[in-house]
Amino acid sequence: MDAKVVVVTGGASGIGRATVLRFSEEGYVPVILDRDAEAGAATASLLETRQVEGRFIQADLTRKPEVAAAFERILSACGRIDVLVNLAGGTFHKGAIHEVTPAQWKECLDLNLKTTFLCSQAVIAPMKQAGRGTIINTASNFGVTGGAERTHYAASKAAIIAFSKSLAAELAPHGIRVNTIAPGLTGTDRVRGKYDEAEWSALSGALPMGRAAMPEEIADGIFFLAGADSDYVTGATLHVNGGMVMP
Amino acid sequence: MRRLEGRTAIVTGSGQGIGEAIAVAMAEEGASVLVAELREDTANAVQRKIEEGGGAALAHATDVSREDSVEAMVQACLDRFGSVDILVNNAGIYPTNTVEGMPEDEWERVIGTNLFGTFLCSRAVAPHMLAQRSGRIISITSGRGLQGADNGAHYAASKGGIIGFTKSLALELAPAGIAVNCICPGVSDTAQPRGHRTEDELYASAARIPLGRIGQPRDMAKAAVFLASDRAKFVTGQTLVVNGGAIMQ
Repeated sequence: MDAKVVVVTGGASGIGRATVLRFSEEGYVPVILDRDAEAGAATASLLETRQVEGRFIQADLTRKPEVAAAFERILSACGRIDVLVNLAGGTFHKGAIHEVTPAQWKECLDLNLKTTFLCSQAVIAPMKQAGRGTIINTASNFGVTGGAERTHYAASKAAIIAFSKSLAAELAPHGIRVNTIAPGLTGTDRVRGKYDEAEWSALSGALPMGRAAMPEEIADGIFFLAGADSDYVTGATLHVNGGMVMP
Repeated sequence: MRRLEGRTAIVTGSGQGIGEAIAVAMAEEGASVLVAELREDTANAVQRKIEEGGGAALAHATDVSREDSVEAMVQACLDRFGSVDILVNNAGIYPTNTVEGMPEDEWERVIGTNLFGTFLCSRAVAPHMLAQRSGRIISITSGRGLQGADNGAHYAASKGGIIGFTKSLALELAPAGIAVNCICPGVSDTAQPRGHRTEDELYASAARIPLGRIGQPRDMAKAAVFLASDRAKFVTGQTLVVNGGAIMQ
């Protein structure tokens, strides 16, 4: 019960997995919440080979009862939640506004924004009781700039920034900090899979630093926002994008 | 493992306040630090403080608003430590005045120190960072640069200017892997706000800050160490607000 506990939603793969590994290197007990059972099990067994205490809980985080059950399990098993990293969600197929169906819009907003709301809500009581805690939500460069044919995605990410600032103000008196990480183009398997080799090198080569972010670099930014090095930082958005967007 | 082991850093205005805290924190993380400061006595005191803590430092009397002085500053760092890996543009002044009553020389002094000084120091270190294809430049801006300053239009202009300058320099130096960022403090527990606030006013401002306290120099120093470290090598062109939530961006 002495080790700090970090809950990483979407922690089974991509930036989430890099974040889980980064925190585990620093002595945290990571808990992975993800709907992908296969990837979750794979990351959990990776932790096992590294002899890291940690666990994977499969859950659909858009459903409040599943969120509540997952966090009850975490609290009864670990006794504490020091850090919540809301990484579940992700980019979506592009589509012109008239092609985005109400169902697609809702799916995108649910996966990015509602999961962030529900999981944040679930940690407030235990963090208030502890008198401390940090929450890191995930936005995107598109949450600041918008993007053609990304109306649903950009709306969800801009909403997360505004949600985070509001929650930061609400929880500051309780010693709980809330910040946002905003990755730019990042070389996760899922994002890489959307492009062929030539498209990818053209896309990443055109960025100011001449490359995309590695998932580990986003995890480094998240770790900064989680720990004591940022204990006077709340309501902030940290962009880790090699200069792609400078708001 | 110390995070800035083997690096060299120039911290301007590091004879007191936020600059001093950054210089001390970077030295604690293993960097050799040039304490660049207008006042020689305070620079010497910070050098001694770092050395007593087991770190490496060199005090250097510097006027960041003068090109010859800035060139001598960089040369002193190269002569003593062999490179310039990190530049922290912290030197700044904040006199108060209305625009209507603002003498031209006061305007020139504020812009000359805060903004032109940031330009001169960045310009002087850039060739060395480009040659080694690595480096970090961190400039201290202010919430006033984001939201304006009552009785301080020159200060607000200088700090807003630093943000625009930083983004442009970030784009210019990104191909060489050099990151350029700003730290944006809020009201801080330093001598500067005491110039135009009483002690009571200074601490009362904590009531308007979500985290319930004013900033300590150490808060900014921790952010500066992060931005200078390997953990932030892909962060560039950004303004990191370290202000307890006073301004959220």
